[in-house]
Amino acid sequence: MAGSERSSSAISASRQYAPYVEAEWGFKNTWYPALFSHELTENGVKGVTMAGHDIVLRRSRGKAYALRDRCAHRGVKMSLRPMCLTAETLSCWYHGFTYGLDDGVLKTIVASPDDPLIGKVRIRTYPVMERAGIIFVFVGDEDFAPLPALEADMPIRITDDANAVAHILDENVYVRGIHRTGNSNWRLAVENGFDPGHLLIHWDNQIVAATDRKLGLGVEPIGEGAIKIIDEPDGPKGIMNMYNTRAYKFIMENKAVNMRARGKNSYYARTSMVLPGILLVEHWPIPGWAQYEWYVPTDDKHHEYWEILVGRCRNEDERREADYLYDNFLEPLGLRDFNDNDLFAREAMQNFYERCDGWNRESLCAFDAATITWRKVAARFNRGIQESPESHNGR
Amino acid sequence: MPTEATSTPLPPAAANAHRVTLRFEDGVEKEIEAGADEFVLDAALRQGVPLVYQCRSGSCSTCLGQMVSGTLEMVRDRALSLIASEIAEGKRLLCSSHALAPSVVRLHYPSSLIYAEERRNFEARVAGVEWPVPSVAKLAIALERRDGVSFHAGQYVRIRVPGTEEWRSYSMCSTPRDLPKMEFLVRIIPGGVMSEYLRTAREGERLEVEGPLGAFILHPGKGLHVFVAGGTGLAPILAMIDEIRRASGPKPKMLLSFGCASDKTFFYRDEIELRQWWVPQLSARLSADRVEDQASGLIQGTPVDALGAEAINDPEASAYLCGPPPMIEGARRRLAELGMSPERIYAERFVAS
Repeated sequence: MAGSERSSSAISASRQYAPYVEAEWGFKNTWYPALFSHELTENGVKGVTMAGHDIVLRRSRGKAYALRDRCAHRGVKMSLRPMCLTAETLSCWYHGFTYGLDDGVLKTIVASPDDPLIGKVRIRTYPVMERAGIIFVFVGDEDFAPLPALEADMPIRITDDANAVAHILDENVYVRGIHRTGNSNWRLAVENGFDPGHLLIHWDNQIVAATDRKLGLGVEPIGEGAIKIIDEPDGPKGIMNMYNTRAYKFIMENKAVNMRARGKNSYYARTSMVLPGILLVEHWPIPGWAQYEWYVPTDDKHHEYWEILVGRCRNEDERREADYLYDNFLEPLGLRDFNDNDLFAREAMQNFYERCDGWNRESLCAFDAATITWRKVAARFNRGIQESPESHNGR
Repeated sequence: MPTEATSTPLPPAAANAHRVTLRFEDGVEKEIEAGADEFVLDAALRQGVPLVYQCRSGSCSTCLGQMVSGTLEMVRDRALSLIASEIAEGKRLLCSSHALAPSVVRLHYPSSLIYAEERRNFEARVAGVEWPVPSVAKLAIALERRDGVSFHAGQYVRIRVPGTEEWRSYSMCSTPRDLPKMEFLVRIIPGGVMSEYLRTAREGERLEVEGPLGAFILHPGKGLHVFVAGGTGLAPILAMIDEIRRASGPKPKMLLSFGCASDKTFFYRDEIELRQWWVPQLSARLSADRVEDQASGLIQGTPVDALGAEAINDPEASAYLCGPPPMIEGARRRLAELGMSPERIYAERFVAS
């Protein structure tokens, strides 16, 4: 039997990044985007699920708070029917268990003001950071310390490009985007995001034709230095596809199937992916802009797909122009039409990886070197693997 | 593999009995009556309290207990593995102690280890056999039903060799998270029944398994974890390292010293290197008794030699040893010299069969 089994652990490459394969529910102890700032209005309450954690967000006096979305009493989600009775608390709509926003401690029970539980029971809270119009929540172990800076869970700042794209946390930037549900495991989404071989699904997309962009049918790593490891001390960890170097070859035609990519404008769109799974595409959808993507694990079969565009913007005039461009061009042709193909591809992969042991039975090829490198880097530098809610009792 | 003596006939009830309270790590207490002429371990087993033990002769220290009150006296006609200062602190080997007064004994493992996961028989199928080197096989099995089956990393099961009435004991090198799959490292012995079976094993063949067994488990602690493994004694150690790797919270510093007989038969270097890549807190010293090819990079010597001479200054350090008895004894001595408290050294002895 030895040697004959394809999925045999000694033969399969998956053993080299076993922790990544184990991370069905995502990585934990990391900042994930929960909502756009504008989605949580003053006194607003919203529920989100990230890496299996049900979290309720509330904004009070301008500040966003995050608590576990499960009342200690009977376990109902408080976000199902928001109830805010004071500026400092969030109440459960069912029996009025009322928790402090900043510490999660039970402050009173509406129907039992002298209850001995008051002051003793608490629900967990989550650290919140609001930057660039996005509410980020630190998802993972409650006692994780020290809390990493948000910058550590962000794409790197580009320094090797004379016309470098703006960083999302910079001053004077324009940040807009959308998020929507993807019906696949988060890792399939991540790997689709920077996959050098997947340009085929985009070669005839509207935005490629409209911009006459020379995108190619695919890109193939042909030399050393094609894939750069990102390993900043106390900073982002991940990989970068060095499309701006000769280490990658752009495949413009395939004679075997008589297929040829079109386009004259060959501005490169370099991609990088950092933990916990954040894509940066430089000079995309158009030169000077950058596209950021998050694939926040919801559970083991769904992710929240965040598509954010970042451009430079110094004043109101430029903001108005950027809005016009975003509303009439970048979102409909880029974030929607173009990226719809990516969502389609991820959801198509899900069946195989979920039901047929895809992690051990896939057959990767030359341009998948970046994928394997990413998996190894992710296996090493993650801050912990999220267990399924069942296995940790919903803690 | 671990030795055991579960079928030894139990001695009859004793006269002049004293009450002995057995207090487990999780606070659960069991009371037994132990006569002056029977060993406390025997009394416990007779009364249905399945304490963990191995050698029953005072040498392995598995049945160690800490006297909290009362009087337990150890026999003097055996070579006991406790040192004088430990006896002075109230440490007792229950397999070799008599109760001379009502006593309370603290045990270093939780009651759940022996009660919640009672051993039982279950069906499994061969899922694969791999050969890291010709002298070691990795056997993977899949339980037919996994409901209710669990174990602690470091424990072992007994497997009936298909087609025979022979049972062999193997520690899992996989973790409970991998269930229903279980994996074992088998040292190949010419003529051994399991060794011969594995050469022709077919995927899907049925196996009978009994377990889980053994008290070689991780004990909570933030201090340095020293792992010393020889040969296939690596199996439970790998399970423990993977358990720590997957657990929540900050990871302790870990030092693994692993050795094989020769550089030609050294195995799993890549498995260890991968874990070092995944877990920056893990460092490893790899050794072989005989090194013919210097380019192998292996330290010449035993895994005990490879521990080096650096003192272990961490009072919370603990050690887990698994391998042949001489390695265990050597490692115990060495670690004690380096400053480790003997009560924080846990061991599983492997004997070939």
